[in-house]
Amino acid sequence: MKERIDPRFYVGLEEFGIKTAEWNECFHCGNCTAICPLTEKGVLFPRKEIRLMQMGLKKELHACTEPWLCYYCGDCSKTCPRDANPAELMMSLRRYLTSVYDWTGLARKIYTSKIWEYMLIFMLAAIVLVLYLKFTFYPAAEGQWIGADGGVLINKIAPWHRIHIGDWLMAGFLAFLLISNIFNMWYKVILSDKSVKIPFPAYITQFFSLVWNFFTQQKFNKCDDSKIYWYLHLFLMLSYVSLFTIIVFFLKWFQTDIIHPFWHPQRLIGYIATTGLFSGIFYFIFNRFNKSRQNSKYSHITDWTFLVLLFLTTATGISLHIFRISGMPVATYYTYVIHLMCLVPMLTIEVPFSKWSHLAYRPFAVYFANLKKSAIILPKRDS
Amino acid sequence: MEDKRIGVYICWCGTNIALMVDVEKVTREMAKIPDVVISRDYKYMCSDPGQDLIIKDIKENNLTRIVVASCSPRMHELTFRKALKKAGLNPYYFEMANIREQDSWVHTDRHEATKKAEALILAAINRVRYHEALDSRKVEIDPATLIIGGGITGITAALEIAGSGEKVYLIEQSDKLGGLAAGLDLTFPYLYSAVQMLRTLVRKVNTDPDIKIFLNSQVEEIKGYIGNFEAQISSAEGKETKLKFGNIIVATGLKTFDPSGMENYGYGKFPDVITSTEFEKMLQDGLIQKKNGTEPENIAIIHCVGSRNKNYHEYCSRICCSTALKFANQVRSQLPKANIFELYADMRAFGKGCEEFYASTSRKNIKFLMFDQENELPRVMESEKSDRCDMLIELNEKLSGKAVLVPADLIILMVGLEARQDVKHVAHATGLSICGNQFYIEKHPKLDPVATTTYGVFIAGACQAPKDIPESVSQAKAAAARILSTIARGSVEVEATTSCVNEEICCGCQTCIRICPYSAISFLEDKKVSFVNEILCKGCGTCGSGCPTGAIKCKHFTDVQIFSEIEGLLNMSYSMEEIKEA
Repeated sequence: MKERIDPRFYVGLEEFGIKTAEWNECFHCGNCTAICPLTEKGVLFPRKEIRLMQMGLKKELHACTEPWLCYYCGDCSKTCPRDANPAELMMSLRRYLTSVYDWTGLARKIYTSKIWEYMLIFMLAAIVLVLYLKFTFYPAAEGQWIGADGGVLINKIAPWHRIHIGDWLMAGFLAFLLISNIFNMWYKVILSDKSVKIPFPAYITQFFSLVWNFFTQQKFNKCDDSKIYWYLHLFLMLSYVSLFTIIVFFLKWFQTDIIHPFWHPQRLIGYIATTGLFSGIFYFIFNRFNKSRQNSKYSHITDWTFLVLLFLTTATGISLHIFRISGMPVATYYTYVIHLMCLVPMLTIEVPFSKWSHLAYRPFAVYFANLKKSAIILPKRDS
Repeated sequence: MEDKRIGVYICWCGTNIALMVDVEKVTREMAKIPDVVISRDYKYMCSDPGQDLIIKDIKENNLTRIVVASCSPRMHELTFRKALKKAGLNPYYFEMANIREQDSWVHTDRHEATKKAEALILAAINRVRYHEALDSRKVEIDPATLIIGGGITGITAALEIAGSGEKVYLIEQSDKLGGLAAGLDLTFPYLYSAVQMLRTLVRKVNTDPDIKIFLNSQVEEIKGYIGNFEAQISSAEGKETKLKFGNIIVATGLKTFDPSGMENYGYGKFPDVITSTEFEKMLQDGLIQKKNGTEPENIAIIHCVGSRNKNYHEYCSRICCSTALKFANQVRSQLPKANIFELYADMRAFGKGCEEFYASTSRKNIKFLMFDQENELPRVMESEKSDRCDMLIELNEKLSGKAVLVPADLIILMVGLEARQDVKHVAHATGLSICGNQFYIEKHPKLDPVATTTYGVFIAGACQAPKDIPESVSQAKAAAARILSTIARGSVEVEATTSCVNEEICCGCQTCIRICPYSAISFLEDKKVSFVNEILCKGCGTCGSGCPTGAIKCKHFTDVQIFSEIEGLLNMSYSMEEIKEA
C-alpha cells in the first residue's frame, strides 16, 4: 500500500521536542548514518526517520523501531553539516512514539501539557494519602505507635499485608497498561508492515535477545565511548528492578519491626540499591545541569519531572529507614506516607505513560527488529 | 638551395626539463648537426633575457632558421615567433620541439628521456630547413553588425555595439522583441520583475538610431567573409532587404520542450497539468488558479521534464531548478496555506545567490521529494473522491526508498530547453557547426566561448547551450566587445597557414570542395580548377590530404616538411633533397 504524503504531519508535534526548524534543514548527505556506531545493514538511522518526518509518512514512522535502538551518543548531531540535530529528533521521537503506543491518550497529554502532568501527579499523591489514611493508618491506635522496647512498629501502622494489596493492584494496573501498549507497538511495527511475514518459530528463537537486552543494555554499551554512563545506568536499573521486585513480592521480609544487624541481606541490599539509585540520579541531574554531554543538552520538562520524582522517592525511602533504625516512630510514620506519595505517582505516570516506559520499549524494539531481520520478505503489492 | 644557418636553443624550464633531460649534453650533441651554427641552453628561454639571446644571435651570426626546444607550442610558439620578427626574420622560419610535455614530464628514465629529446630536436631541425617565409594578411572590416535573434541576448549585444556608435541590424523572427524572457514574471534568485527589466531594454533598442530592427524577418543566405558579409533578409510580408556588414552575432536562443509526448505526466489529458511557461503566464496575469477558476490546495512542481533523460534530452537545461524554486516562493506568498511539493531529480541551484535561494525556500514548508530521473519517472493519476484532491502523483521517493502518493490539484511541469526547429537553417546560412544536442559549437569551450571557427561569426546566449539571463547577457557583451575591437582596429589579421591550389596539377575533380569544413574552396568555371579563398581557409589540411593529384599544398605543412620531420625523429640524417626531387 502506498502511503500518501502528509505535508502537515509535523503540526502539533513541537511539544514533544520535535523541532521542525532543525530536522527540516537535513539534505540527506548521510553523514549521521555513516558515523552512527549502531548502524547496521537494514537498520539505517537516523536519516531514515528524518526523511519520514520530512515527508509526513505517519504509518511508516509508527512502524519504526530505530528510535528505540538509538542510545543518544550524539555523534550524528555533532557532525551534522546542517545542524539538523538528528540525535535530538530521535529522542523526541521516543517521546512521540510512547504516546503513539499508548491507547489511553494519557501519554500524549502528559508529554504535551504541563498542567496535565502535574495535575495527575498531585491527584495520585492525594489518592495515596486518602487510601493510606483509610486503610492502613490507625490514628486510634496511637498508644501502639511505640513498641515495648521503645522501637518503631511499622507493621502496626502500615501492615505489610495491606500495603501488599496496594502494591499488587498498582503492579497489575501498570502491567496491564504496559502490556497492552506493547501489543499496540507490535501491531504498528510488525502487523502493519505488509512487506514482511514473521515465521512463528522466530518469536521463540529471538526471545533471548529481549531478555538479554532488558538486563544488559548491550546495545547502549556499544554506543558510547564513555563507559561510566553505561555502568551507572546499569547500576541504577538493577537497583530499581531489585527494589521493585522486593517491594511487590517480598515486602514481609523487607519491612520488619526488628532491626537487623548491618550485615543482614535485608539492609545490605537496601543500601546497595539506594547507592545505585542515588549515583545514577545525581549523575544524570549533574549532566542535565551542566549540559556537558550531547544527550543532556536539551531537557524536556518530563525529563526533569522523572529525575525529581525518582530522587524524592529514593530520598524519602532512605530517610524512612534512618528514622526507623534511629527509633523515631513519628518521623518514620509520616515519612512513610510521603514516600508512598512520591513512589506511586512516579511509577504510575512514568512507567506506562512517560519516560520510564523505555524499560519495555527498548528491549522489545530490539526483539521486533530482530524478528524483522529473520522475516520472510514478501513481494511488493500495489493497490 | 640557400645557405641554412640554424640556431638551436634548449630550455631548462627551471628544473622541469633539466631534471629529466641532460640539457647540456643535448646542447653539445646538437652543435654537431650540419647547418647548426649555434647551440645553446638557458634556464628560461621564454624570459626576456632568453628572447634577447635569440635576437642577438640572429643579428650577430646571421641565423636564418631557429629551433627552440622547450614547452608545448600552445604555450610559447607565438612568443618566439614575435622574437624572430623583432630580429627581422620571418616568424615562420621557426620550429618548436616540445621536450617538456612530451618528454621530461612523462618519463622517469633520464638516459632515455635525453635520447628522446635529441630525436625531437633533430626532427625540428630537419623540418625547419624547409620552412618557407609566410605572410599573415589583413582584411578591412565593414563596421556594421548583423544580430540574429531579438531576445535578451540580441538586445543586449545590439545596445552594446550601438552604444559605440556603430550600425546594428537586429533580426527577429517573431513580431516582438524579448524572446523567452518576455514570457517570465519574476526572475530568480532576487525576484526582480522580468517585464520591467526588459521593457527598459526594448525601449532603448527601439529609440536607438543606430539599431535597425527587422521584425517577422529571417536571414535567407549569407555570403562573404569577415569584414565583408552580405545577406538577404526576407520579412513575412515578402519584403526582401539586402544588407552589408562586417560581423555576425547569432543569438537565436532555444525553445521550451513540449511535454505532450510524455504519457506519464498526462499533459493534455488533465486540464490542471500545465507547463512552466503556462504557469509564468498565470503569474504574469496575477492569479494562481485551476482551470475551473478555483484555488488549488495542493501544488506539485515536477522538475527535469524533458531534461536529463536519455529518451528526451540527456543534458541539463540549467534554468529549471531555480525557476521551480522561484515558483515555490511565488505560490507560498500568494497561497500561504497551500501544500507545495517539489518533485526533483537533483537540485541544481548553482550560480550566485541560488544556493542561498534554495536554502531560504526550503524553510518555507515546501516538501522536496526526490525521484529517479533515469529509471522511474513520477506518474500522474486520476484520484478518487475520497482522496480530497484532483490528482495523485505516484512516486518512488529516492531518499526514503518508499513508494508514495502525492496529492495535487495543480501540477507544473518544469519543461527543459531544446534547439529551435530552424537551427540547421541558421547554421547553414552562417557557416556554424552544431553539436549532437543541436547547439552551436564555440571555438573553444573554455577559452573562446563566444567565437566560432568562422571568423566574424560569434554566438551568444542560449543557442550555444542552455543559459540563464546573467550568463546570456555576459555572452552578449563579450561578443559585442570582440566585434567592437575588430571595428576599432579597422582590420583583422587572418591565418597565414592556409592551403593553395597548383592550378597546373588540379584535375578539377572538386573533391576538396565537398570535404572543406569551412566552405572556403570554390570552383573556377573558366579554368576548371579549384580555388581556395584564403580568408575563409583555416589551414586544417583536410583538402590537402583529400586531393588525389597532390595539387593542393598546405602552407607550413608541406609534404617535405612533414617527411623530413619524421626522418629526424627516426634519427636519420641523409639529405631530404632526393625525396623532394621525387
